[in-house]
Amino acid sequence: MRKYFKLHRIFIAQDLKKLMEYKVDFLMGAIGFVLVQAVKILTLGIIFASIPALAYKVNGQVVDSWTFNEVLFIYGFSLIPKGIDHLLFDNLWGMGYWVVAKGDFDKYLTRPVNSWFYVLTEKFCVDAFGDLFVGIVLVVYSVLSMPADIAANINWFRLIPVAFVIPFAVMIYTSVKTATAAISFWTKRSGHITHMCYMTNEFASYPAKIYNNVVKTIITYILPFALTAYYPAIYLLRGESVWSLPVTIGVSAVLFFISQLVWKLGEKAYESAGS
Amino acid sequence: MENNSMIHVENLQKHFKKAIKEPGLKGSIKALFNPKYDVVKAVDGISFDVEAGEIIGFIGPNGAGKSTVIKMLTGILTPSEGFCRINGHIPTENRKAYVKEIGVVFGQRTQLWWDLALRETYMVLKEIYDVSDEDYEKRMAFLNEVLDLEDFITSPVRTLSLGQRMRADIAAALLHNPKVLFLDEPTVGLDVVAKDNIRKAIQLINKESGTTVILTTHDLEDIELLCKRIVMVDKGKKVFDGELSTLRQQYGQMRELTFELNKEADMEKLTYDQKFNFAEDDLKLETKGNEVKVRFNTDIASVEEMLSFTLSKVHVKDISVKDADIEEIIRRLYKGGGEAV
Repeated sequence: MRKYFKLHRIFIAQDLKKLMEYKVDFLMGAIGFVLVQAVKILTLGIIFASIPALAYKVNGQVVDSWTFNEVLFIYGFSLIPKGIDHLLFDNLWGMGYWVVAKGDFDKYLTRPVNSWFYVLTEKFCVDAFGDLFVGIVLVVYSVLSMPADIAANINWFRLIPVAFVIPFAVMIYTSVKTATAAISFWTKRSGHITHMCYMTNEFASYPAKIYNNVVKTIITYILPFALTAYYPAIYLLRGESVWSLPVTIGVSAVLFFISQLVWKLGEKAYESAGS
Repeated sequence: MENNSMIHVENLQKHFKKAIKEPGLKGSIKALFNPKYDVVKAVDGISFDVEAGEIIGFIGPNGAGKSTVIKMLTGILTPSEGFCRINGHIPTENRKAYVKEIGVVFGQRTQLWWDLALRETYMVLKEIYDVSDEDYEKRMAFLNEVLDLEDFITSPVRTLSLGQRMRADIAAALLHNPKVLFLDEPTVGLDVVAKDNIRKAIQLINKESGTTVILTTHDLEDIELLCKRIVMVDKGKKVFDGELSTLRQQYGQMRELTFELNKEADMEKLTYDQKFNFAEDDLKLETKGNEVKVRFNTDIASVEEMLSFTLSKVHVKDISVKDADIEEIIRRLYKGGGEAV
């Protein structure tokens, strides 16, 4: 275990050195991510400029509603676990797009290190600082600009359990990527499957209640990105959905286990490529 | 004896499922809805043993299954049938412990950190393989001496020449002092001098550290200079296993007759195929202006017969007879598919 922490540190250091070699590339990457986020926030702003709040109605009755600031908060919060996964474990994307298809996975198998860990940590994706930066700015800004009565609801002690749950939320992202990337061991390429599953997180950056039951079930239990975003955020804001915290831990553990199983089985089915 | 060998391979097989597709887009669509598979036996029951400290040449034409065998030996692929045991390990079981004892170089792809100075690669590998500081110093000094890394160890890997990169790659595979070194085409694409350097280094490493070396190559000079023994595979099966000299004896009935004609037109008079009973593979005639090169099988016509026939028909300058080189022998073996030994 100690060796693995050390290796991870070394890989990060290697990538930072690489960064110094390719500064422009890094800058462009980070600016790109900030721009993408800026456009999304702008869209939210435009929508909320014409509506007072996002409302959830049952039979014409407003059951729940979220102000612009609250939606902004949830959205900003969602970028934090997403950004951490992006920062530390981005290298998994390569698996489904080219690593397996081109036979580059050979390298990982000839090293005395857990192959999953090696792939996972080999790259340190500094572009993700764009995500994290925007996420934190949004959370802080939305709290500061909230009407006093809503802001008064926030009990900052709730931050402790939420902070505890964040690593598990990260694990949800990483496990979904791991399991879908490992499909490539059989199909050679699975990048688009990873992409498709990963993109459902976009649903999860908004209040889960607004969706129908099918979507809600998917983003809570199957590709449970709502557990990484809406639920912890709304708990922090209003103290709602306390149940979601242990569920996040449980679901992420199950997902982690499944993804490891798929990876291990996949490794045995790996066929390399002619050379 | 077998159980003590460094590498023991028994009835090793690898089957790949291959989709059968009819040509064109229509075929692709058809295959999408009604996929049909064919089982291809890339490696079909190969067995051999390698003793500690040997250098084995592992050869065969493209697609013969060499790389697939190497990949099973290195734990990259899981065998479909049979097994291999290297220094007491089954590669796919407890892979992490096993790979600490082997070094792998794939000539076609590098394992160095492309964007960073070469030295950085070695520093990372030191951690990956848990090499102690003391061993690292010692090992680097040795590798430096053998492979001459000094000149480029601070350069980014992407700026290295192919020859330098290959030396660097071999050093990377040897940093942890493995018991077995797998070299998959280590001289591919290199110039003569660079090839020579690599070969010398391999020899030295084998001698100094007693490293067992498995070498695949298409360059038969590699084999002649480095390996006493070769294992040849074709179509997934072993077709030859033994000393290089045995191969020469067994298949080396080919001789090469070279001479220069006084008159180019005399060429027509050299009707070897009418005089002797050569099959297509037994005789090869090459001419370049007045120069003539005749390769023939001594089982059909002896050197003496060939010489006297030639001299009785034409006037020549400078006549010489030579053993066919190993390349010729192997070309014949590949072509004939060989007989399983």
